[in-house]
Amino acid sequence: MFTQFGSTAENFSKASTMVFRIGTDAHLYDDPDDVSISPLLDSKFDSEKCEALKRLLALIAQGLDVSNYFPQKRSLLMPLCYLIDVQVVKNVASQSLEVKKLVYLYLLHYAERQRDLGDPNPLVRAWALRTMAGIRLHVISPLVLVAVRKCARDPSVYVRKCAANALPKVHDLRLEENATAIIEIIGILLYDNSPGVVGAAAAAFASVCPNNLPLIGRNYTRLCEILPDVEEWGQIILIGILLRYVIARQGLAKESIMLSLCPEDVSHDKSGSDFDTNSLEMNKTYEMSSGIQEHELAAMVSRSYLEGPDKYLSHSTNADVMSSELDSSRFTSSKSDDDMKILLQCTSPLLWSRNSAVVLAAAGVHWIMAPRKDIAKIVKPLLFLLRSSDASKYVVLCNIQVFAKVMPSLFTPHYEDFFINSSDAYQVKALKLEILSSIATDASISVIFQEFQDYVSDPDRRFAADTVAAIGLCAKRNPQVANTCLEGLLALTSPKSVNSTSGSTDDEAVVLVQAITSIKDIIKQDPSSHDKAIIYLAQNLDAIKVPVARAMIVWIVGEYNSIGNIIPKMVSVILRYLARSFPSESIETKHQILNAAVKVLLSSKGEDFHTARSILSYVLELAKFDLNYDVRDRARILRKLLSCFYVSSSGLEEESSQKSENNELPLLLAEHVFGEKITSSEMVNNRFYLPGSLSQIVLHAAPGYEPLPEPCSLTELDIIEGMKISEEGPTQVGSYEVDNSDVDSGSLNEEGSYSYDSEDSITSSRGTDNTNEGAAREADNTDSLINFSDVGKAQKEIEVSEENDFHGELMSKGALESWLDDNPSSSQNVPEMDNERSSSARISIADISKRIRPKTHMLLDPAYGNGLRVVYKYSSKASTISSSLVSVEVSFENCSSEPISKLFLTDEDSGMSSESLDQTSPTDESSLQSEKEVPTLVPMEEITVLEPGQTTNRIIQVRFHHHLLPLKLVLWCNGKKNPVKLRPDIGYFIKPLPMDIDLFSHKESQLPGMFEYTRRCSFTDHLTELTDDKDGDGSSIKDSFLVICESLASKMLSNANVYLVSVNMPVAANLNDASGLCLRFSSEILSTSIPCLISVKLDGKCFEPLNASVKINCEETVFGLNLLNRIVNFLAEPAVTS
Amino acid sequence: MDEMIDNGFPLTTEPNILRDMIAPPNIVSKMLSVVTGNSSNVSNTLPANSYLDFLLFSGGVLVKCEIFGVVEVNSHLSGIPDLTLSFANPSILNDVQFHPCVRFRPWESEQILSFVPPDGQFKLMTYRVKKLRNTPIYVKPQLSSESGTCRLSVMAGIRYDPGKPIDSIVVQFQLPPCVSSANLTANHGTVNILADKTCSWSIGRIPRNKAPQMSGTLVLEEGLKQLDVKPTFQVGFKIMGTALSGLKIGKLDLKNLPSPAHKGFRAQTDAGHYEVRS
Repeated sequence: MFTQFGSTAENFSKASTMVFRIGTDAHLYDDPDDVSISPLLDSKFDSEKCEALKRLLALIAQGLDVSNYFPQKRSLLMPLCYLIDVQVVKNVASQSLEVKKLVYLYLLHYAERQRDLGDPNPLVRAWALRTMAGIRLHVISPLVLVAVRKCARDPSVYVRKCAANALPKVHDLRLEENATAIIEIIGILLYDNSPGVVGAAAAAFASVCPNNLPLIGRNYTRLCEILPDVEEWGQIILIGILLRYVIARQGLAKESIMLSLCPEDVSHDKSGSDFDTNSLEMNKTYEMSSGIQEHELAAMVSRSYLEGPDKYLSHSTNADVMSSELDSSRFTSSKSDDDMKILLQCTSPLLWSRNSAVVLAAAGVHWIMAPRKDIAKIVKPLLFLLRSSDASKYVVLCNIQVFAKVMPSLFTPHYEDFFINSSDAYQVKALKLEILSSIATDASISVIFQEFQDYVSDPDRRFAADTVAAIGLCAKRNPQVANTCLEGLLALTSPKSVNSTSGSTDDEAVVLVQAITSIKDIIKQDPSSHDKAIIYLAQNLDAIKVPVARAMIVWIVGEYNSIGNIIPKMVSVILRYLARSFPSESIETKHQILNAAVKVLLSSKGEDFHTARSILSYVLELAKFDLNYDVRDRARILRKLLSCFYVSSSGLEEESSQKSENNELPLLLAEHVFGEKITSSEMVNNRFYLPGSLSQIVLHAAPGYEPLPEPCSLTELDIIEGMKISEEGPTQVGSYEVDNSDVDSGSLNEEGSYSYDSEDSITSSRGTDNTNEGAAREADNTDSLINFSDVGKAQKEIEVSEENDFHGELMSKGALESWLDDNPSSSQNVPEMDNERSSSARISIADISKRIRPKTHMLLDPAYGNGLRVVYKYSSKASTISSSLVSVEVSFENCSSEPISKLFLTDEDSGMSSESLDQTSPTDESSLQSEKEVPTLVPMEEITVLEPGQTTNRIIQVRFHHHLLPLKLVLWCNGKKNPVKLRPDIGYFIKPLPMDIDLFSHKESQLPGMFEYTRRCSFTDHLTELTDDKDGDGSSIKDSFLVICESLASKMLSNANVYLVSVNMPVAANLNDASGLCLRFSSEILSTSIPCLISVKLDGKCFEPLNASVKINCEETVFGLNLLNRIVNFLAEPAVTS
Repeated sequence: MDEMIDNGFPLTTEPNILRDMIAPPNIVSKMLSVVTGNSSNVSNTLPANSYLDFLLFSGGVLVKCEIFGVVEVNSHLSGIPDLTLSFANPSILNDVQFHPCVRFRPWESEQILSFVPPDGQFKLMTYRVKKLRNTPIYVKPQLSSESGTCRLSVMAGIRYDPGKPIDSIVVQFQLPPCVSSANLTANHGTVNILADKTCSWSIGRIPRNKAPQMSGTLVLEEGLKQLDVKPTFQVGFKIMGTALSGLKIGKLDLKNLPSPAHKGFRAQTDAGHYEVRS
C-alpha cells in the first residue's frame, strides 16, 4: 500500500512541485536522499532533525528500506522524544532495543501528525489514539488505556468511535489488570448518544466480553431503538449481541421454530395448518422426506443453535434425551414479551438494508425469534440478496438452504428465484439446485423439471451431473413425477447419448453415473412399478462402459431379480452374459456380479436354480483366480456360505431349510454394502450453525463460533448489576474536561480497586487534589525564578515594615489600636465598607483576647511515658533569642504516683549525649544560623524533679526552617529517652505584623497576580454559638454578625500567629445575610520577614454554613500556598465544643 | 485503506465520507475541490433512475422475467436538505433495499422516501419488480448438427416497441468446448470470436427494414457426430429515456434549502442477466 501510495504521490508531487513547492513538504518526495540524512539526524537543531525525519518518511513512503538508519536509534530517539510531546514515547524511550525500534517506526509514520491527544482537530486526536493503541506492547498498555479513557469522553464522535475501536487492541494484550477497566469503558461507550460510537462499542463488546450480557441490560431498549441508525457493520454485531441477550434473558419464543424443541407441543402446533396436510401426504409415501423429518430437522436445527460444538459431541449419543430436558418454562411468547417485540420491530426495517450482511443478520433474528407465520417476512429480502455479488450470493444461499430444509413452505412460491443463470459460479449453481429440489412441490415440479432438463444440456457437465442428482431427489420427494423423471433419466443413459459422448471426457461418465444412481434411488422407492426401467437398463448394459455405472446396473438387476414377470426370465440371460464378460470387468463390477449371482441363486427355483448354480460356480471359479485379492476373498466367503448348495443339492428338504437360513446373510451383506452409501448421502450435514455465521458456511465450528446462550440464563440480579455499571456512563461523559489531569490521575487510581460505587467519588476528589497540587508545584517552579531576582527589593520593604516589630504581642497591639479608633459604636451607619471599620470589629477584638485558645497537641501520652504527660501548644509570643525561632509552650504533667526527674527535650541527634546539654544550652544565634535548613531546637532548661500531680511549663524555641514534616525530638526522663514528634504548624511560622487598613490595602495592591491565591471552604463555627444565643435572648442582627466575626477571628488567632487588621461589614446588611463580611489579617514570615496578608471573605446566610473565601497575598509563593491550605483546613474544621 | 479498516473492523466505508477525509494528494483533487466548491453554491439535485432487467428465456418460452432497478441520486445541495420522494405507482415494487440515509418509518406507513442526501452520487434505493410477461427484444437461436458440423443461426428483433430506441444490442455466447472452429457471419453488425471461445455479435441498433441474423457453421472436434450441449446466449442492450419497470417518480419535495435547486430526472434501462437458451 505504501509503495503504491508512494509512487502515485511521487508522480503527482513531481508535477505539482513547481506550483506548490512553497509551503508544503512535497519536495521531499522528489529526492528524499539527495541530502545525506545521517548528519542531519545528528544535528543539534530541531529543525534539521525534523527535516531528516521527514526525509526518512518520504523514503518509507516510496517503499525503500531505511533500516540502515536504525543504528542511530539512540541518538535519534532522544531528540525525538524531546520533539514530540507524547507520553508514550517518553515512557518507553529507555526500554529494550525492540521497543525502541517500534517507537521509532511509530514515530516515523506519525511524527508529523502526532502532536498530542489534546489536538484541537478530532481527526488528529483519533489518529494519535489509533497509533497508540497500535503499539502492541505491554509496557505502555496502561498509558493507552488512560488515553482511551480520555478519548471515550471526547466531544468528537469520531474520536470516541476510535476509542471504542482501540479497546479490542488493548484487550488483545491480555493484561488481566486492564480487563475490568476495558469493560467499564465499553459500558460507557455503549451508552453513548451517537449511533456511530455505539456501533464501534458493540464491536468492542463482542470481541472483548461477548458473554457479559448484564452490560447490555439496562441499555437494551435504547440500543434497540438506536439500531437502525448505527452504521452497517456495527448493526451486524449489535444484532447478534441483542439476540443473545434476549435469548439469555427471556428465553425462546413460543411461536418460533425453536419451539420444536418441545416434543409435546409439536403435534399440537402443527394441526390445522395447510402445511400439515401436505406433510401427512408425504409421510404416507416416503418417510425420509416427510413432515415428521422436517420437524426433526427443525428440532435439530434449534438444538444445534443452542449447543456449542463440544456440547454437541457429548450429547450426540443421547440427543433425544436432551430435547425433552428443555421444559416449556424456558419459552416465552414473542407477542407478550416486550423485549422480543422491540427487537423484532427494530430489526424488520433492517431487512431493507443495502448491506447484505445486515439483512442476513436481521433475517437470522426473525428466523429464531419471530412467530412462524411472520417468518415469511424475511423471504423477499433474502431473495433480493441473490442479486448481489457471487460471494455474498453463496453465503446467502447457504443460509437459505437451511431455512428451506426446515421450512420448505417459505420458499415454495419463489422457486423462480432459484433458477440458474449461466453466469453463476458452480458452487452457487449447486446450492440453487439443492434448494430447488428441496422446495419443489406438486404445483411447481413441472416447471422446475422443465428447467432441469435445460440444465442437463449445460456445457458444464459437473453441473449437469448435479442436476441429475437433483432430479433424483425431486422424484424422491414427489413420487408423482417419479415416472417422468425416470424417463428423462433413462433417456440420458440411452445408447445414443452414451455413444455420442463416449469419446469425450470423464465428465460425461460422471453424469451417467449420477443418472443411474438417481434411477436406482427412484426404483428403490417403488421397485414393482419400475420394472420396465430395469429391463431397459439391462438391455443397455452392453452399451454402458463406465464401470461404476455397470456395477450399479448389475446391482439393480441382482436386487430386483424377482420383480414382475419379465425380469426373472431375463436374469439368467443377463447372468450368462456377465459371466462371460467377467474377466474383463472392473473390480467393482466383479463384486456386483458375484453378489447378483448369489441373489439370483437364492431367489430362483426349479430349472433356473440349477442354471443359476452353475453360473455362480463358474463365476466363483473365475473369481478364485482373480488378480485382485478382494475379489478372491469375496469369492471364498461366498463359497463357504453357500457350500450347502453344493454339498447337499440332492436333498430337497434339507436344502429348503438351509436356504431359508442362509437367505439372510448374503442379502444382508449386499444390503450393507449399498445401504451405507445411501444413508451417508442423507446424513451429510446434520449439524447446523447460527444463520449468518461462518460456521454455517463451512459446516463445522469455526474458531470464535458461539452458540446462543442458555435460554433464561440471565437473572434479574445480573441485570441490576449491569445497570449499576451503565448508570455510571452519563455522569462520566458529562464531566468531560479538556484538561486531562483530572481524568488521567483519576483513572490511574481506579485501576487497582474496582468497585463502582465508590469509584466515582475517589476519582473526583483525588482528581481535584492532584490538580491543585500540580498547579501549586507549577506555580512554585515559576515563582522561584522570579523570586530570585526580586529578593533585594523585597528585603527593603521588610526593613521598612520592621519598625513596628517591637510592639510585641498581638493582643496588646489590637487593644491599643481599638483605643485609637475614633468611631466606637456606629456599625449601622458605616457608609463605605472599604475604608471604614465597624464597631463590631473593635468589640470582637476585645473579646477575642479571652477567647483565643491555642490548640494543644499531645507530645507524649502518659501511657507511653510512664505516667508523664507532655503537651505543647504554639505560643504567639516572639522568641527571646531570635526572631526566626518559634516558641512552643510545653507543659509537663506527672500523672504517675512517683516523681520524675531529669526531664529535658533535645534534638534527636544532639540528645544522644546528655552531657553535651550544657554546652549547647547557651546557644547563640550565629551557631544556629550556621546549621541551615535543618530544623533545630534550642534546648530547654532541665526540669530536675517533677512531683506526682505537678505541672511545669517550659517554653522551647525551635527553628523550623519552613519544614513541615514532624520534627523528631528526644524526651529524656529518668535517664531514659522517649522519642517524640513535634508537628510544626505553619500558622506559627509567621508573626503578627501590625498595620492599619490603609497600609494593608496598599500592600495588597503590591502583591497581585501570581502572589495572590484563593481557596474556598465552609465555615460552621458560628452556628453553635448562634443557636446558643437564640435560646438565651432574642439576639439582634448585629449580634449574629458579631458572633460570626468573633468566632472567625478567634479561630484564626487560635491557630495562626497573625494580627487582626480589620473587620469590615457590607453596607446593605440584610437580616440574615452575612455576605460581604470581610476580615483582614496581617503577618510576616519569621525567617525572611516577608509580609503575608490574609483576608477572609464570607458569603452566605447567618444561620447556615458560610462560604469562606480565603485569600493570601505573599511573595513567598510556596509558603503562601502552604499557609493557605493550613488556614482553610482549620477553618473548615468544626469547632471544638468546650 | 487505513481509514476504512481499523484492526480488522470496518471503520468508515461510505465512499463520500472517505473522500472528504482524505483528499487524494494530487493536483487533480485540488482542482476538483474548487469546482465542487462552486457548484455547491449553485446547489442542484439530479435523481437518476436506471434499471437493470433480469430476464431468462428458454426455447422461446419466457421462464422468468423480473426487473432489478436502482434509483440513483446525484445531489450537490448546500445546507442540510430534507428530500421527500414519492412514486406514482409504488405498488409494483416487489422488494426494496435502501441507502442508510433513508428513513424507514415514512416508507412503512406511506411508501414515501424521506431522506437527507449525502453529497455526491449514491444509490438511494434498489428494488425488484416481478411478474413482467414481456421483453422488448427477442433472440431466437437455432442449432442443427449433422456429421461433425453444426449449423447455427440466430435471429434477433424487436418484440414490442418500448417507445425509445434500443441501443447497443449485443448477443454473446460461449462456444462449447467441443467446438474446434467456427465460421459465423451476420447480415447486420459485426461478429467477433475471442480467444476464450466467446463469440460476441454486436448489433447496435436494429434496422427497420430487415431482421438481423447471424448464421454460420461450427466444426466439432474429431469423433463427435453432433452437439449435445447447448450454449446460452446472453443479450445486452440499453434503452435511454425509459424505465421498463414502469416505475414512475411522483414528485420530489425539497425542504431546508437556502436557494431553489435544480431538479432533474432521467431513466435508463440496461439488460441485466438476459439469457436465451438454445
